[in-house]
Amino acid sequence: MHHQLLRILALLFIALVVLQSILGGALFIVLTGWHPHDIVLYYAQKSLHGLLETLVPHTLFISIALMGTLHFLGFISTISEKKKSLFIHLLFGLFIVDQSSPIFLNLGMAFFVYVKIIAFVGFESALGWVWIVMFRESLSDFSLHH
Amino acid sequence: MVIFLIVALVLDAMAKGIDFGMTSAMWFNTILGNEEKFIDPLGMSDLLLSLHADLFGLILIFILITALLIRTSRPKYFKIAVLFLGVTSLLFYGIGLIASLWMGRLGVALSWGGFFLFHLLMIGIALDILILLSRKKF
Repeated sequence: MHHQLLRILALLFIALVVLQSILGGALFIVLTGWHPHDIVLYYAQKSLHGLLETLVPHTLFISIALMGTLHFLGFISTISEKKKSLFIHLLFGLFIVDQSSPIFLNLGMAFFVYVKIIAFVGFESALGWVWIVMFRESLSDFSLHH
Repeated sequence: MVIFLIVALVLDAMAKGIDFGMTSAMWFNTILGNEEKFIDPLGMSDLLLSLHADLFGLILIFILITALLIRTSRPKYFKIAVLFLGVTSLLFYGIGLIASLWMGRLGVALSWGGFFLFHLLMIGIALDILILLSRKKF
């Protein structure tokens, strides 16, 4: 009975992570637009101050949040050290690319719009996956202790 | 860490109280607007920004408190019930706020209920964990 409950709980948590990813995507689209051309235009119009206003809090807050999250990922035994290392590099790498792309777009390098989109989707998906792994580990710990 | 999580939850609820209000009626006015009081409804981008940033922090807090709660000596079904309530209230908060664009007051009410239920629940559980830790009954 309680295995069934834990499965439902895990599904609800996945729904929450999916919701958060959809919100991130929707926010990005509402702010910048659907078309890559709109995204290029959005960042091209921004001043350096405008770019920094987003970049500075993101760099500070996300790096701390990532460090905290990935610290907990270190304790997890259900995935290999290799996979952990891959996800740590992937998350920080995608985050740096995602955050620095608007600077290149602002400098007129329109190609970076595709880099930005791929990095953004990749980062949201990788973070969602890490959250799900951590939550599943907690639930499997729960099953083992009882 | 538990003390900081409690402080974060209290401050987050206070900040939301200043932004949206503490009662559901105040949330209705802020989110849906009020013509009689000349309050404009909250814009789509403001709504999404607030929700996305909020959920990010709340999911992290939920994961951290879950990781601790699972390891306590509390009864199994109590823990499952707490986790169900926690995740459901967060879903209500997020979906309710988005649904308010179509469902109006019902969506806002769901969201308001979910937000405060989650905060009260997590503060209660964090305090319980703190007490268990201080009594060395973890």
